[in-house]
Amino acid sequence: MIPIFMTRRGFVSALVSVPRQDQGLHQLGVGIASAIPSLSVRGVSYDYDNCSAIKSVDLDLHPGTLTALVGPNGAGKSTLLHLIQGRLRANQGTIESNGSIALMPQRASIDWSFPITVTQMVDLGRLRTRNRGQKLSAQQLLNQVGLNGLGARRLDRLSGGQQQRVLLARALMQQTSILLLDEPCSAIDPPTREHLLTVMRQQAESGQTLLVSSHDWGSALDSYDRVVVLDGTVLACGTPDEVRQKLTDMTCMMGSHCCG
Amino acid sequence: MDDFGIWWLTPLILALMVGLICPTTGALLITQRRILLANLMAHSVLPGLVLALAFELDPIIGGLLSGLLGALLAEQLNHRFKGREEGAMNTVLAGFTAFGVLLVPLLQARIDLEALLFGDMLAGNGSDVIRTLIAAAALLLLLLSRYQDLVFLGVDPEGAIAARRPVMQIRFITILITALVVISAITAVGVVLVIALLCAPVLVNLDRSESLRVLMLRSAGTGVLLSSGGLMLAILLDLPPGPLIGVLCLVLLPFWRR
Repeated sequence: MIPIFMTRRGFVSALVSVPRQDQGLHQLGVGIASAIPSLSVRGVSYDYDNCSAIKSVDLDLHPGTLTALVGPNGAGKSTLLHLIQGRLRANQGTIESNGSIALMPQRASIDWSFPITVTQMVDLGRLRTRNRGQKLSAQQLLNQVGLNGLGARRLDRLSGGQQQRVLLARALMQQTSILLLDEPCSAIDPPTREHLLTVMRQQAESGQTLLVSSHDWGSALDSYDRVVVLDGTVLACGTPDEVRQKLTDMTCMMGSHCCG
Repeated sequence: MDDFGIWWLTPLILALMVGLICPTTGALLITQRRILLANLMAHSVLPGLVLALAFELDPIIGGLLSGLLGALLAEQLNHRFKGREEGAMNTVLAGFTAFGVLLVPLLQARIDLEALLFGDMLAGNGSDVIRTLIAAAALLLLLLSRYQDLVFLGVDPEGAIAARRPVMQIRFITILITALVVISAITAVGVVLVIALLCAPVLVNLDRSESLRVLMLRSAGTGVLLSSGGLMLAILLDLPPGPLIGVLCLVLLPFWRR
């Protein structure tokens, strides 16, 4: 497990030219994957109005890993993130975490026309934090996500990609050990997506555990250490190559079964 | 307060206070997308006001209870008619207004219904000014103690709930203060027209304000100009101030440029 993870990390570092730990702002834990999971999901099920959203989901997330949660619309990705965050309560199963959890929400849950500056929006992250350690400034975080100089601008004067970065900066302000991101790369251009992934990679390297829901398939998955494929239940879980192989095997099995 | 030598001073103070507190409350309600609930409450206070006046009780008590009852009923019906909330809320609004109008002949009360609906600022007295002061104090207390939470709730309501901020408490207090503000503004502009002062000054300042605080200050400034200007014009033209303020609010919107 660990050798695969190390190999994956080396590959991703080369791909996206991630700066090493000298830029990491968080000192939340160890810099490499630990054997003890920071988040453990066991047999979790959740129903919306007697309709099953997710069923018997098992998942372990280790410190310092960047994990993609992929699946089609309605697969239960957001539901799982909200269950992990504690916004929803599971009908069955247990969720255990070794630290605090932050969620970067989907675009749709924000009122972008609200009169607020970028700095004020990032500072709202302080209302959620229980961290009594080193306080981060909004300016530091805006620099980290590549928005230096835009702190005084109104939120609705930014582009969609810049707004996503503001949400990421607000989530980072909470200084949690686990960070959940709900579709952070949807409806943004490739350079912005790459920048977001770079920041996420930096956070993982500083010890934070990240779970990122995504619609991205194919080569985009190579940016992550691990991939979880969800469609009501976990269909596959592992490194991007392992998941691709599992899905190919499943497609072959279904194909041979269908063809008799 | 009733013994002011200058007859227009009390109405002017009332106009200034209403111009100050209505848009400030409106800024909260519009940014939280709850302005329809505010209009519902403005109309829902009518039966309570009529009852209180008929039985010679304090209108604040009657109006507050009646307004809260309207909001509570709307909340219940919103669950039953999910996705069609606007229809349910407008029905409650009309129903409470109609009930208030019916109570006047039913109780055979000597109440000037027109004044309750459209205001009668020139008849304003010291008690009306005190009611605006009570509403202003409650509003100021909420803003001083919960400003950051009000911003959070406006920009990211789901996030505020997830962060375990006291969302229900803040929403209830906002409803309570809305009822207080509406009741205190009734002598000035009436239950029907108060919504104009809650909305128009906020709408013209919304896009150019960089924070909720700035929006409130600018809206209050615009509100004071509208209400005091409306009163002055009404005295000059010998027209009722409430409807004139309502028309000024309407005129402001189409001619406003960003």
